[in-house]
Amino acid sequence: MDHSSNNEVRVMLVDDHPQRAAMVEQALKASEFHIVGILTSASGLLFQIQELKPHVVMIDIESPDRDVLESLSLINQHNPTPVVMFSNEEDPVFIRQAINVGVSAYMMEDINPEKVKPVIDVALAQFEMFQALRRQLSSTQQELDDKNTLDKAKRLLMKHQRIAEPEAHKNMRNLAMNNNQTLVDVAKNVIAILAQDSKKAPVDESK
Amino acid sequence: MNLNSLTSAEKTQLNIGFMRLSDSAPLIVAQELQFFERYGLEVTLRREVSWANVRDKVAVGTLDASQMLAPMPLVTSSGLKNTPSPFITGLMLSLNGNAITLSSGLSKQLDLEVSKTGDHCPDPVVAARQLGKIVTTLPRQLTLATVYPYSMHTFQLRHWLSLGGICPDRDVKIIVLPPEQMVDNLARGIIDGFCVGEPWNTAAIQAGIGSSIVSGYQLWNNAPEKALVVAEHWHKNNPATHLRLRLAIMEAAAWLSHEENRLACVPILARKKYLDLPEHMIKPALLGRFQYNKHSPSINNQDFIVFNRYQAGFPWRSHAEYLLRKNLQLQGFNIDDSEICKLIEKVFRADLYREAASLLGYSYPSTDFKNEGGNATSYLFEDSIELGPDLILNGGTFSPCPCESYSGSAQK
Repeated sequence: MDHSSNNEVRVMLVDDHPQRAAMVEQALKASEFHIVGILTSASGLLFQIQELKPHVVMIDIESPDRDVLESLSLINQHNPTPVVMFSNEEDPVFIRQAINVGVSAYMMEDINPEKVKPVIDVALAQFEMFQALRRQLSSTQQELDDKNTLDKAKRLLMKHQRIAEPEAHKNMRNLAMNNNQTLVDVAKNVIAILAQDSKKAPVDESK
Repeated sequence: MNLNSLTSAEKTQLNIGFMRLSDSAPLIVAQELQFFERYGLEVTLRREVSWANVRDKVAVGTLDASQMLAPMPLVTSSGLKNTPSPFITGLMLSLNGNAITLSSGLSKQLDLEVSKTGDHCPDPVVAARQLGKIVTTLPRQLTLATVYPYSMHTFQLRHWLSLGGICPDRDVKIIVLPPEQMVDNLARGIIDGFCVGEPWNTAAIQAGIGSSIVSGYQLWNNAPEKALVVAEHWHKNNPATHLRLRLAIMEAAAWLSHEENRLACVPILARKKYLDLPEHMIKPALLGRFQYNKHSPSINNQDFIVFNRYQAGFPWRSHAEYLLRKNLQLQGFNIDDSEICKLIEKVFRADLYREAASLLGYSYPSTDFKNEGGNATSYLFEDSIELGPDLILNGGTFSPCPCESYSGSAQK
């Protein structure tokens, strides 16, 4: 996502109150923001996002499309988009605490044209930070998964061939070099072959 | 039960969330038939528009409790996708109730010859295979919708697709849409099909824009669907209120297990403040006479949506384990079996169900786990408890992990 100071930040508004939307649009246009679309009903939201490629989506917290937005990065690995939510909730505690719960939800009290710019700036910055953290987490998770896979393959090999750990490791490394595979791929193959007879696979209807 | 023997409620004015779905019936009935009132609770039912909102409002206390999708308390408590927010359930609200519906155009291409089966419903495996044959030859990739990433709906959609050899990640696009937007999006050709709870399948069928292919019941008989969920800290602060809440809703669910009461419930659900839909849309599934196609007769299945019957309210930890493992698989996460055991023990509070059931004099299982997939008819569990069939379509059987620490244990 490129939104350095030279580039305009593309904003999409989803609001069923046309008057409020018009006010916000005005306030945003006065600063460097570029309104790429205003949707009064969120039907077709996904397709609008694909078409208009906003950097940030602003949406009423009471919109049913919160679920749609949250799912964007989950099911289909779309590019995640930060979401700024606005709310008519009187309770500021709700808004503050809700930030801790949602994935990319940044909320504020009822949308106020004067406050819109700082809120979007903060949302974008926080979103970048969160994405970086998430990338880091998922690579750590991957490393952990890989390590578990290797360990499991080694254990199976040690048991099956009655050999010690260094030898199992060596065998797998040789296999990897000979077949031009990564060590993890070799480990997965070993598990697939050796684990079959030792354990009944659980029900898996989705693959 | 002597109501005076119950501990006084810590909190009597409650906000409870529900969605525009037929399986909100236990909450709506508890309100309209004054079961809540009988237990000294003054409840305001809040109609919510998205599951994310429901989740956030329960987490921050704007809602005291809410109807939720069965996997939600597990996923939210795990913190795998969000900041963890510990939720618990001591009462499931319903089993089954979903269906997969395809656009009329697409279902015609599957050439299902519904009327010739004699059952007036398509064979779901044949239908999936037919779709599998044409899915990669279609002019554009199919788009199918589910109601929430972590839901039975998602599992059911993926399950059915896999029966036809269709890869849910590669061969089709799966998106999320709110239940009430499904029919509109199908009508406009933006999606080609969906998995949703009632009355939204019936709404599409009656409008003549879609045909149902398979019900949730057919994919997994008597699968967990909705739960009554509260935040764990809310329960700690309001245990007596929580108990009264469960008692009221359990009585409502028991009331709903009689067919004549279901009929009486239809006009109540139809009201503007609840589902705000015509009665003829709500009736078929609720009365167990779901119609797969506008021109085919209805099919009798009294278990299309189950309340109370077959221990529907019991939070089986075996169900929790299934839901959690499916979610982990979907998200590509791995956690240790011991973590899974800890989480389901914390979130699915079988002990809270037993506490309420024994006060009401309802039967309840003494163990927290049951095997899935082995029973084609209803059967007696622990000699005296009637449980429903639990077949998983082409899915074999599922045995819960033997976490010995809580076989039959009731924590306090």
